[in-house]
Amino acid sequence: MKLKLIYSPENVQRPVLSEIIQRTNVPINILKAEVKPNSGEMLIDVLAVGEKLKEVLSLFQKAGVKVKEITRTLEIDHVRCISCGACVSPCPVQAISQDENWDIIFDEEKCIGCRICVHACPMGVIQMF
Amino acid sequence: MFEERGAEKLRTYEEINQKIRQGDAIVLTADEFIKTVESSGLEYAAKEVDVVTTGTFGAMCSSGAFINFGHADPPIKMFKCWLNDVPAYKGLAAVDCYIGATAMSETRDFEYGGGHVIEDLVSGKEIELRAEAYGTDCYPRRSIETAININDLNQAILLNPRNAYERYNAATNSTDRTLYTYMGTLLPHYGNVTYCGAGQSSPLYKDKGFETVGIGTRIFLGGGIGYIMGEGTQHNPQNQLGTLMVRGDLKKMNNRYLRGATYYRYGTTLYVGVGIPIPIINEKVAASAALKDDEIFTKILDYGIPSRSRPTVKKTSYAELKSGKVVIDDREIASSSLSSFKVASEIAKTLKEWITEGSFLLNRPAELITDHREFKPLEVRRREPRVGDVMIREITVGNPTDDIKSIAKILIEKGVDHLPIADNEGKLVGIVTSWDLAKALAQDKKQLDEVMTSRVITAREDEVIDMVVRRMEQHNISGVPVVDQSNHIIGILTTDHLSRKLIRRHLL
Ligand code: SF4
Ligand code: SF4
Repeated sequence: MKLKLIYSPENVQRPVLSEIIQRTNVPINILKAEVKPNSGEMLIDVLAVGEKLKEVLSLFQKAGVKVKEITRTLEIDHVRCISCGACVSPCPVQAISQDENWDIIFDEEKCIGCRICVHACPMGVIQMF
Repeated sequence: MFEERGAEKLRTYEEINQKIRQGDAIVLTADEFIKTVESSGLEYAAKEVDVVTTGTFGAMCSSGAFINFGHADPPIKMFKCWLNDVPAYKGLAAVDCYIGATAMSETRDFEYGGGHVIEDLVSGKEIELRAEAYGTDCYPRRSIETAININDLNQAILLNPRNAYERYNAATNSTDRTLYTYMGTLLPHYGNVTYCGAGQSSPLYKDKGFETVGIGTRIFLGGGIGYIMGEGTQHNPQNQLGTLMVRGDLKKMNNRYLRGATYYRYGTTLYVGVGIPIPIINEKVAASAALKDDEIFTKILDYGIPSRSRPTVKKTSYAELKSGKVVIDDREIASSSLSSFKVASEIAKTLKEWITEGSFLLNRPAELITDHREFKPLEVRRREPRVGDVMIREITVGNPTDDIKSIAKILIEKGVDHLPIADNEGKLVGIVTSWDLAKALAQDKKQLDEVMTSRVITAREDEVIDMVVRRMEQHNISGVPVVDQSNHIIGILTTDHLSRKLIRRHLL
């Protein structure tokens, strides 16, 4: 499951993530991290389900880190899309690609909801919900 | 032997048109022509094929339309005018205006601009027209507010001073922040590469010797018929960066091939569809029309360097760019286009259909586009203040092993906020601010290297101050050390000191 972590000045300097990985033995991929001296945001993919996932979530909460589930995905207006590709290479996780006719293929599984493509599209046809 | 440009050795324009009228002309798109050359050789293809069609569909900022509104009663000599809140140029007669693609809405900014107005006009949408005037004896009216659509207009003429760049450079970004440019979104640390142009389908690259394109050449423009008016602005043919000025009747165009666009934090523009038929009149034209993506080269430039002469990161071909991956320093980097190859190939196919069905004839241009034009930069003649003019040269520098307390004392005594840290050779290794020091003292840290910032934003002595101020704003910092080529500290520039200098200059 993809999660957005929001750190506060109190916990941003602490190794919350690595402690949780050590304690639960759950593999966690860091998709994006923006850590500043007194705040931080991270997008992670927790490779666990059921009880294990719940345990991870509760540990983050205990550490005072805010956790949001990423369920937002994109909607591309394929009629107004001109198949240029301006949204393709800026995507940091290669969630958008082009087929042999240059048409856009969006891989919802990979998307981390960073909105870069929403701005990168010159035709304004990508929206996020 | 010296051959004159445009020699009709294989076939003449009249012979081609005769075949088009009879339905016998052999017309291929650039992609098809390349395949024919690959399978049967250039000589055969040049002998058999009469016309090669090309196409490109990309952002072309130097585009716009002349519009004549007709006269209201009582009449008005419009002095300022807006279309959907986008200002149009009014330095023309009473009811003529020019709406440029990059003009931006005064109420919606980047979201909507002249390019969008042109698209909406072509789509037949109603457009709000607002104009102001000072009133004259012959034109008494002082303002007007109404709605127009393209059918109401006497003329709506697309006239683009620079379109169809032969090829263009590609872009990447070496800095540590995301850049939003006219080359699209560029991720930090060479995170991606963007490029534009149509590669092997590019109209001007298919006649790179300018043997057939010229003033009066009939072309596909925005889904309708247009004409080449001459070389475009910044035409630079000897470097394979030729451009065209084109015009066409907006009323006959199609919004699939004219699209308003926004480059985030850059501005608005217009995507224009251009297709040019290349008559295969001699072998040189045939050889040029046969060029493939792997024979068309361009440079990847570093848009992280805010200078006219951006450094080249790599020379590459359109074939590599189109593969979706470019190798820079042994790293594979995602590349993607800003122009649409899909629509470009649609344009080449449409033009082929028009010619094949006999509704589009070719013509000999009145004059060929020049194949040489000096390309000049704009030199700033007024002297702009540089960092070296205002920086503080007597600076206190710390050493990584210095004791924090003594340094704090020096800062207080000198009344400065920034302390660059240099190694024993005088090379910059970090910076601390009085704020960092206060924090360090509170946390009982002892040595400078425990508290300093080691990734320092710097300036060079010969940089224009405006650029450095912009950099400080971007990084939200109030001072930068000035370093020489080998990273030795030679001064410091702080906003505090700058504003005092500027105020003094103001007062004098
Ligand atoms: S929001 Fe867009 S750019 Fe960001 S990960 Fe998803 S697809 Fe890629
Ligand atoms: S940038 Fe926009 S128009 Fe271009 S391919 Fe992506 S979604 Fe389509």
